[in-house]
Amino acid sequence: MTTLHGFPQPAQWKGKDLPRILSRLFQVDDGHRLEVAKRHGAYHTIGSTLFDKSQFELIELVKDSGLRGRGGAGFPTGMKWSFVPRGTGKPVYLVINADEGEPGTFKDRLCMSRDPHLLLEGMIITGFALGVRTAYIYVRGEMLPQIGRLNDAIQEAYAAGLLGENIQGSGYSLDIFVHRGAGAYICGEETGLINSLEGFKGQPRLKPPFPAVSGAFAAPTVVNNVETIMAVPYILQHGAKGYRQWGTDKSPGSKLFSVAGDVNAPGVYEVPLGMPYMEFFELAGGLKGELLGCIPGGSSAPVLNAEETRKATMDYESLASLKSMLGSGAVTPFNSATDVPRYLQTIARFYAHESCGQCTPCREGTGYVDRVLDKVVDGHGRNGDLELIKDLADSYEWTTICAFAPGAAWPIQSFITKFRTHFQAYIEKNPEHAKPRELELERAGAFW
Amino acid sequence: MADLITINVDGKDVQVPAKIQLIEALRTYARTETPAFCYHQDLKVAGNCRICLVEVDGPRGFALAISCHMQTAPGMKVRTQVSSEKIVKLRKGVMEFLLVNHPLDCPICDKAGECTLQEHYMGQGRHESRLDDATGKQYKGGADYRFIDAKGQDRGGKMIDLGPTIVLDQERCIICTRCVRFMDDVAKSPQLDIAGRGDHAYITTFPGEPLDHAYDLNTTDICPVGALTAKHFRFQQRAWLLKSVESIDPSDALGANLVIEYNNGRVWRLMPRRNPEVNKSWIANSTRMLYQDLARNRLTDGKLNGADTTLASALASALAALKAGKRVALVASGHLTSEDNAALLALCASLPGQSEVFGGSWLPVGKSDGIARSGDPVANRKGVALLGIPDNLDALAGRAKEFDVLVVVGHDLWGAAAAKAAALESIPTRIVLSSWVDASVAKATIAIGIRAWAEVRGSMVNINGRVQLLQACPVVPNAELEPAWKVLAQLSAAGKPFSWSSEIDGWKAIQARVPQLASLSYRSIGPSGAIIPLAPLPAAAGV
Repeated sequence: MTTLHGFPQPAQWKGKDLPRILSRLFQVDDGHRLEVAKRHGAYHTIGSTLFDKSQFELIELVKDSGLRGRGGAGFPTGMKWSFVPRGTGKPVYLVINADEGEPGTFKDRLCMSRDPHLLLEGMIITGFALGVRTAYIYVRGEMLPQIGRLNDAIQEAYAAGLLGENIQGSGYSLDIFVHRGAGAYICGEETGLINSLEGFKGQPRLKPPFPAVSGAFAAPTVVNNVETIMAVPYILQHGAKGYRQWGTDKSPGSKLFSVAGDVNAPGVYEVPLGMPYMEFFELAGGLKGELLGCIPGGSSAPVLNAEETRKATMDYESLASLKSMLGSGAVTPFNSATDVPRYLQTIARFYAHESCGQCTPCREGTGYVDRVLDKVVDGHGRNGDLELIKDLADSYEWTTICAFAPGAAWPIQSFITKFRTHFQAYIEKNPEHAKPRELELERAGAFW
Repeated sequence: MADLITINVDGKDVQVPAKIQLIEALRTYARTETPAFCYHQDLKVAGNCRICLVEVDGPRGFALAISCHMQTAPGMKVRTQVSSEKIVKLRKGVMEFLLVNHPLDCPICDKAGECTLQEHYMGQGRHESRLDDATGKQYKGGADYRFIDAKGQDRGGKMIDLGPTIVLDQERCIICTRCVRFMDDVAKSPQLDIAGRGDHAYITTFPGEPLDHAYDLNTTDICPVGALTAKHFRFQQRAWLLKSVESIDPSDALGANLVIEYNNGRVWRLMPRRNPEVNKSWIANSTRMLYQDLARNRLTDGKLNGADTTLASALASALAALKAGKRVALVASGHLTSEDNAALLALCASLPGQSEVFGGSWLPVGKSDGIARSGDPVANRKGVALLGIPDNLDALAGRAKEFDVLVVVGHDLWGAAAAKAAALESIPTRIVLSSWVDASVAKATIAIGIRAWAEVRGSMVNINGRVQLLQACPVVPNAELEPAWKVLAQLSAAGKPFSWSSEIDGWKAIQARVPQLASLSYRSIGPSGAIIPLAPLPAAAGV
């Protein structure tokens, strides 16, 4: 199997076809170029298929397909679109969230470099459905090759009359701009992204008002993930039923999963939702070593232990029942050779570094947890440190503006609960672990 | 009063106005103490300190919400720290986080005693510290510590000189962004911002740029901790030693409400007093610094032809001059209270046929800055006009030769326009009542010291027709100094004398002249003032 494209997926798996809704062109040479993409059916829907439908029909279609947001929260896309108020006199903006920053996630990057035209096609359909004149693609600043690909694709589409004024003689006009972020994880949060797009510091906004009512430039705004929008052309072409042939009832369709960690063939895979994790690991070349646990959907999803991983299937409801989440679809299994406290330390440091610093609990809490965890990992842990970390994470879990703090708290809570013995072993490495720490107030010169 | 709605707080129904911030409803109507650091009544809601958390009933049961961002709606059910253990625990958690990187230097911090963090720690925190050397505070503290940012720029640490008026102690800042929002939204000069993110975020100005706005000292008031302190007040007095009286800005016709804070016979600072209809919570730096003049360059005695003399002998000379005077020009002042000006009118009445009252000012009138200054430096211009005193200083200058005695009260004519005032020097006897040794005192033949604005009680009418009160603060530099109205009453002995026992008699005299004020008393005017119609009035009798 070739891993030439970072997409090592076989066409068939156990005698069955795998979905190729999003990854149709991933293994095609020069699939990012318009002529090649067109030969494979790109922009097929941009014509009477799209323009003969009403906006209402399109939104209903996406609602019926059961498509859910692929960025992490899994919010039903059709419902999000239906929140956009009509006739406000303000423009409606479509913003594509391509600020892929969740540790372990690398699917959007592949999408944008392999098949940017599918994204543009999805944007034209979405734009038409929502009455959008101007759309933005907010791309993480580090992804320079992808930004180049997107810009090239947009130029090709303009030249072919697929973007700009009066697309294909339909009377509908759409302009698309690529906006480079400056590399902050928090700009993947939709209101943080909007702030950054407007030129402000990327800090999430207070809600309400929600972006659907007052988002970018105080106008109604829909923010959707790259992968979500890339599924829209297929839904339009094959109907809600065609999309629902994949996946489960509540999680229909397919999803891109970026698997890293202890598997033999890491990379991006497109599989139907509802596939068992264990089967997925087989698809990804099999596990290395004995499974210890798995992060099922990006670093902020609560970790699963081996037993839970064996039970779990890759869909929203199975993971919700295990008190975890599908998230962005970054699957990271780890084997029994893993140094779990160090693993969590890396995650905690990431969140301490990326907290935007707006809300007190998250700003101070993530840093504090990181420092205590550092002490544990460095062999200076004391009894009670784990309770302290857990308690701090509980304190910032739900007390902030955006979902960053819960996302920072969940791995900490779940790792410490599910792999407690690993942390305890680290603490016991400290010969003085039973001695309480000298507290701030007992210290000489505490005023400074 | 807006329509009242019923909300349920901790199981009790409370009547509150609709669509106000829940935190206001909790504080004012439900009488539930709700802490806040980032929330300020006169700033945009930022919702970042998270200490005002409450539980609000919604479609999915009680959910956490911040009361500063939520508006009251009928039927709302709220749980606060009174009925929810969860809120108590979470607020303690937030308080612990706030204190993680905040030093425990209250004993040497200027803000101690009026520090929001200190107050709410006593109310909502009171936790045992779990911080230790290894995992605790990240600031280094100490006067020699300098914080160098990722780009190698010196961002300071302790005692950063932000600009001409303000010092920043970086380690005390809790990133509430009140000062940032003030500079952005009120001052409309975004000079401050938060740089960095996470717990390594810090407040700063743009590289190499100072914080130097005409209102920047307000950031020291709204700073909930001792991070921003005013250079003029730093280490001067402990906040709990100061006593206060309520007054208004005497240097501008808007009459921004303020508090005079004094101790040991000296005023130490002027603080804004919130009045949503006048100055909100803001005063200009120039207003704030007026306190310095109260102890500087004061005319504490009398002067005769430029030579120092006692108040009594100056007064006796003035009395003799008035008795001898055939034509007396009395100049009213918009810088003094209406009571003082009423006394001037009473003096005019006691010298019938012999005296004439002039009013107005030669000071240039500027433009309103839209915050707390109207641009008109004559604070009581409307009050003087209501008394029926005309704006005719130029006429006085033209007719100077008709008079042999000039009485100027609390009004620096020569300081305002020396060229125009030069015409008045042809009047042989010039009596000046003044609080300061100013240009007019230098030109006076007889000068008598009077009390300054902070030391008298009285009323002024602001540019929008709001009657506001000044209260006397016991900081008179010389116990023998009297308010202007009292000196004028003493001078009335030159003709038919009048005697007032207090400002109240002056207020009654004003009421007799100004019908709009007839129903008001000092008590009903109160601390926030009372609006009166500024109808055109007939010229006062005797002028």
